[in-house]
Amino acid sequence: MADETFDLAACLDRVRQHDQVAARELVEHLYPLVIRIVRSHLPRRVAEEDLAQDIFLKMFTRLDQYKGAVAFTHWVSRIAVTTCIDQLRAQKRRPEFRWADLSEKEADVLDSVLTSEGDVAVNDGLAARELVYKLLGQLKPEDRLVLQLLDLEQHSVAEISARTGWNPSLVKVRAFRARGKLKKLFEELQRKERS
Amino acid sequence: MKDFDARWGRLVAAARQVPAAADVAAPYGFAVRVAARAWADDRPNLQAIFGRFAVRALWVACLLMLASVAVDYFSSKSGTQDEYANESLFDPVSEVLTASSS
Repeated sequence: MADETFDLAACLDRVRQHDQVAARELVEHLYPLVIRIVRSHLPRRVAEEDLAQDIFLKMFTRLDQYKGAVAFTHWVSRIAVTTCIDQLRAQKRRPEFRWADLSEKEADVLDSVLTSEGDVAVNDGLAARELVYKLLGQLKPEDRLVLQLLDLEQHSVAEISARTGWNPSLVKVRAFRARGKLKKLFEELQRKERS
Repeated sequence: MKDFDARWGRLVAAARQVPAAADVAAPYGFAVRVAARAWADDRPNLQAIFGRFAVRALWVACLLMLASVAVDYFSSKSGTQDEYANESLFDPVSEVLTASSS
């Protein structure tokens, strides 16, 4: 959070009394947290601001349900994560992954990862990131989320558990299954010739 | 799996080199708009009120219809019985026969 001096408890009390100013302060305080989650799990063709707005509106409507059992930021994170997963589920069909859909740079990175043992070139980082998102996009929303948090953002199992509300064993099982699916996708891509 | 793990590891390591978007501040007017909409649904919604009353009115109409059908059925049934009862009291044929024989 940007503002360390922010009195969250007092702000929440005022928000519960429908104080508009406190509501604005709360949104501004939580926006960095929410937008980071939205950006990393943004479904295709969905504007990040619209999704962030949905998350905040859900937060306000469910505020009475917050009993303080977990940190408020974790509670908001869970709302954000489930809203993103719901949006991803709503899109249902994931298009088939083809070499032809990759940019030249992304195809080079994938080629290098599949065929050589060396690291990806430093200046190919952006292409690698896009490629990772495209590969993760082939997985179910929950699988995608767990690998993104674990491998890309390097959160611990405990942190993911707190953020998603899934127990640590479930996080590990999901990660294992997701890697298995990704492995199959890699094998499939290896079989197909780069066009 | 180890082979895959190594490949995937190299790919995500390269992806992590790209810094995340630094701009995480709320856009101008976003907080005001969200705060204004936060309790907008708390206000009485005419459509919802109309919907709720419409459903209740439908139930009341159904009950009234059933009641009126029941009342009509029982009153017509008892009316028919009364009619036959009256007919048993007044028999015009026997009246005519009685008058002609006397």
